[in-house]
Amino acid sequence: MTTTGALTGLLYYNHNVVVIMLGEFEYLLLSVTARLGDEAYGAAIRAALEQTTGRRCSVGALYTTLDRLEAKGLVHTWMGEATPQRGGRAKRMVRVTAKGARQAAQFYRTVVRASRGVSWETTRSMVR
Amino acid sequence: MTGVVWWLVERASALLDAEERDAVRGDLAELNVAAGRALREVVGLLVRRQLRLWTDWRPWLALAGLVIPLGMLLSLISRQWANTNSIYAWLYVDNWTWSYIETAGARHDLAQISGTFLLECVTLVCWAWTLGFTLGSLSRRTIWVTGTLFGAVLFGGTLGSSTAGLRNPGNAAVFSLMFYRDGFPTLVRTVLVLVPAVIGMRKGVRQATLPLTWALISAVAVVTLTALAAPSVKGSVTWGWWSTSGEGPAIRQLAQLRDSWQLRLLPMLMVWPVAYMVARATRRHWRRQSAAA
Repeated sequence: MTTTGALTGLLYYNHNVVVIMLGEFEYLLLSVTARLGDEAYGAAIRAALEQTTGRRCSVGALYTTLDRLEAKGLVHTWMGEATPQRGGRAKRMVRVTAKGARQAAQFYRTVVRASRGVSWETTRSMVR
Repeated sequence: MTGVVWWLVERASALLDAEERDAVRGDLAELNVAAGRALREVVGLLVRRQLRLWTDWRPWLALAGLVIPLGMLLSLISRQWANTNSIYAWLYVDNWTWSYIETAGARHDLAQISGTFLLECVTLVCWAWTLGFTLGSLSRRTIWVTGTLFGAVLFGGTLGSSTAGLRNPGNAAVFSLMFYRDGFPTLVRTVLVLVPAVIGMRKGVRQATLPLTWALISAVAVVTLTALAAPSVKGSVTWGWWSTSGEGPAIRQLAQLRDSWQLRLLPMLMVWPVAYMVARATRRHWRRQSAAA
């Protein structure tokens, strides 16, 4: 049995274990997809993720995470048109659903709230 | 070198679904990913996809119920039958004399041996095909893994063991020839087991369920052939799984199992793939009947 916690985006199980619904990579993927809007597809998302995080993103991580997000109803994907620079191959287009946007917003608020007053949050403010 | 790696990328990505293959190859082309990294990424995606498929129970049932027990049994039976027929082949082919057909008794012997050999060939083909079909039907998307493992069990299952026939000094003249010692068993396994199993797998992946009539015909054929071959199946496990030192069975407990009910039931294992085929075909038949009614 589960109940919604005081912090949105969290689920409290009856054994007091807190489960955050989105993973870090899932959140990053949702954010990048939302920012790209109509231009969100595999290669563009991957390039934006690598640029934002400074870390490599493999095609395996990208597509298996997209499948997971789609299964949760957080994104919708479909095959788009083919372009010459892709060797005439179609794109897998991605759009964040309303549910996905809500979940990402909840995750963001949770992280911001949980980070208040911690040393790295203060350091960030000082650096700024 | 790069050309070879791209060819490997092409081959590996062929294992992905058509739409995903298009999206992945397109992304790699658009981002100008180097050949080595592209190969690592496609293989990584394939591994992730396979791992996800293995969270389902069907591939595990295929592995534990078909690949390991029946692959092992087919490995033992095919080697034992190849060994037995090697002795007759050496006698009738390598040392042919017209005296083999001069008397009625000799002709009867030759006809009986040839008939048994043909029956054993047909039995191996039927077992292998039904096993392959069921494997393809049960683990359609994991067939590359389960099929490869089946091949490994078939050819590697008897490694480190011998047969009583091979260890018998009386057969030294036959098995001193490399063809009869190594070549013939490999030929039998490849032509009569692996090839029909692969054909069955392809059919199973594409069709999944046979029409009821064909499933029943297959069942009658397999049950009849298994009943005829039952004594030989028991013999293959006890005499065909011998220690390399020639002192006794590779697994000592097998000696105690000789003539036990467990060993008598062993040939029934070969029937279960076709029983699964009939069950699936019957279920589909009744569903169609009730939908039409």
